[in-house]
Amino acid sequence: MPLLEVRNLRHTYRDAKRGDVLAIRDLSFSVNQGEFISLVGPSGCGKTTMLMCLAGLLRPSQGVVLLDGQAVAGPPDNLILVFQEYNKSLMPWRTVLQNISFGLEIKKLTFPEGNRHHLERLLKVVGLSDFAGRYPWELSGGMQQRVAIARALACKPEILLMDEPFGSVDAQMRFELEDSLLMLWQEFAITILFVTHDIDEAIYLSDRVLVSGRRPSEIVEERAVGLRRPRDQVRTRSHPEFVEHRTRIYEMMRTFSEQSPA
Amino acid sequence: MRKLWVYLLRTLLFALCVAAWELGARGNPELTEFFPPLSLIFPTAVQSIAQGELPRHLGSSLATFLKAYALAAFIGLTGGVLLGRWRWLFHLFEPPIELLRPLPTPAMIPIAILIFGIDESMRIAITVYACTWPILLNTIDGVRGAEPVLIHTAHTFGASERQLLLKVILRAASPQMVTGLRISLGIALILVVTSEMIAAVDGIGFYILETARNFEVAEMFGAVLVLALLGYLLNKTFVSLEGRAMAWYYGSKKREAR
Amino acid sequence: MRGPGRLQAESRLWGYLFLLGLLALWEVLARAEMVNTLLFPRVSLILTYLGKLLTAGDILAQVAISLARSLSAYLIAALFAISLGIVMGYYRVVYEVVEPFMEMLRPMPIVALIPVIILFLGLGWQMKVFIIFLACVWPILLNTIDGVRGIDAVLVHTARTLGASPMQLLRYVILPAALPVIVTGLRISVATSLILMVISEMIGGMNGIGFFILNAQRKMRVLDMFAGIIILGGIGYLFNFLFRLASNRLIHWHLGMTRLTRR
Ligand SMILES: Nc1ncnc2c1ncn2[C@@H]1O[C@H](COP(=O)(O)OP(=O)(O)O)[C@@H](O)[C@H]1O
Ligand SMILES: [Mg+2]
Repeated sequence: MPLLEVRNLRHTYRDAKRGDVLAIRDLSFSVNQGEFISLVGPSGCGKTTMLMCLAGLLRPSQGVVLLDGQAVAGPPDNLILVFQEYNKSLMPWRTVLQNISFGLEIKKLTFPEGNRHHLERLLKVVGLSDFAGRYPWELSGGMQQRVAIARALACKPEILLMDEPFGSVDAQMRFELEDSLLMLWQEFAITILFVTHDIDEAIYLSDRVLVSGRRPSEIVEERAVGLRRPRDQVRTRSHPEFVEHRTRIYEMMRTFSEQSPA
Repeated sequence: MRKLWVYLLRTLLFALCVAAWELGARGNPELTEFFPPLSLIFPTAVQSIAQGELPRHLGSSLATFLKAYALAAFIGLTGGVLLGRWRWLFHLFEPPIELLRPLPTPAMIPIAILIFGIDESMRIAITVYACTWPILLNTIDGVRGAEPVLIHTAHTFGASERQLLLKVILRAASPQMVTGLRISLGIALILVVTSEMIAAVDGIGFYILETARNFEVAEMFGAVLVLALLGYLLNKTFVSLEGRAMAWYYGSKKREAR
Repeated sequence: MRGPGRLQAESRLWGYLFLLGLLALWEVLARAEMVNTLLFPRVSLILTYLGKLLTAGDILAQVAISLARSLSAYLIAALFAISLGIVMGYYRVVYEVVEPFMEMLRPMPIVALIPVIILFLGLGWQMKVFIIFLACVWPILLNTIDGVRGIDAVLVHTARTLGASPMQLLRYVILPAALPVIVTGLRISVATSLILMVISEMIGGMNGIGFFILNAQRKMRVLDMFAGIIILGGIGYLFNFLFRLASNRLIHWHLGMTRLTRR
């Protein structure tokens, strides 16, 4: 049984003024335990909408989301969504350490090695040990994003949903963040559903890439990525398989963008 | 160098004001009745403080002020959170609020007198009425304006409504709450003094009006200066407490501005 | 979980019904003599009385007196505070020298000065205009200073390199750039002018709407009092409305811009 299963998801935003917006038409896919799976789609195609539905923050107009076979009706316990706007999702009144412990406080979790120790180890893993007492607004964008990821990992969720997490950091920082994310994924042995508009990023990170066309979201292509792990920013990206995936996905997206949606 | 100049100019300006008052008053002895020299005001003020008249009135005003301010803070903050959090409640109360809001608050003084007579409860009531507005409206704004991403974040971590309120919304709205409280500080002082002038037999407002009527001008100026000092100190205390409690807010604003 | 939003118009309708309900409750309680009708006469009685008062016209003369005072004081204050604020905002030395004095004077409750000013100016209109002026100056002055100091230096430099004279700089850059903030001050002062108008008429007045209301209470002419308060509320509403109208035209570019950036 897959860990997460999405069946015939459809969502329409009701908007009296500007007219209703069909964000997701018909979305079905599943995510297996331990998998790193990406969904690529152009901006505005309904990716955030889909994640909100999966995270139980938005009730879809139609369809079901099953997590461990249970229908999602509210924010599930073992799933956490990392938002695109990381700078807005961190609490400016909490220090980095306090931000990271937010989930533990909410879920009232305790770790055998002591919560403090657990958090400090996590800070070390994401390379923020020296910034525990700083406020998020004192950090750079890349660091803020790492705080947001560490906060999500701190409560050891089974599955992490990530919404274009590296969308607004510079290229160098992006590479570093991608590699640390892969490392964390392995270390914590979790499942990640990663959403992005960047085709290369999706291929580089994932075991499997789902491709969506323009709004409304629909899966137009699915590709299994067999590239060897651990991956390497230079070698993996120049591997023939990588190039082939990219060409294919790019073509698919172009085809589905050209025939303008009704 | 520049600092020194500023400091010098400041001192000069201050000395000029003091000298102008002193010399202007001394040069026109026929005016002394309205316009005593500063050198006369200070001893008189000190004397009225020593005699216990000024402290008694000031104490009465302060008591009224504190009771009213605390009550207004309680009503404004709780009401603001409720109205800000529950849309239907907001819509229910929006028309009555819109109806009452444009009315200049002192217009309510006569109604307060009708209901409460002319004792302290009237002064507290009208001060509470006037002070509640900025606190209430700012709190509503703050609560409704809480960053949606932050609320979603709390939800994805499984926060209950109670946790969401305590750990996210109250904190996110606190800058606006504090703004409302700061605005109300000045309003409270105005309404306490006004209501004392209109209907009371004690309090600093009453004392100022009474000394003015009896042409005890030095006493009057003394009381005005004491009141100015009180306003200054209250404001200063509030701002310094605010600066400490809201350091995160000003820090993040500064970052945003860059 | 967020569901589809309920229609806003519908819930606003409930609000108006709620308001009507409150007024109806007052009416019923007064009719049943469950509140002291000497203090709280029936709403319907107040409203018919208000109609009579307005058609008789005497009250309008009182209103006119009050409005003349508050408007003139407001305009003088605006002119004075904006000019001073621009100077203080533009020249740092002036600001630094004067700032501590402002900080000391600002928390002073202006009402406490009413008896002092009565001594100097008497009980006539001069006293009231001066009081209203004093109170209105602060918000406009502080906002103007903030607005001018907050102007992006790049904007000023650009105008300079384009060869703008000081007057042109003022007219085409400083004033328009600071205007949104100045308008905030102007808006706060609208309310302030009405508040001080009422207070000064209550404490040292023989006419005007503020005096009318307080006097009605003292003479226990409760209908006059409530009618006066309603009229005053109407004035407040009208002022806000007119101000919003004017400021929307004045700074429409700013409103458009903030709407865009907020999205
Ligand atoms: N609350 C909303 N009301 C109406 N339309 C919305 C709302 N949120 C998003 N949309 C629209 O739905 C579409 C999909 O948005 P989104 O899921 O944010 O896309 P993506 O994350 O892929 O960029 C967009 O056209 C957007 O304008
Ligand atoms: Mg998005």
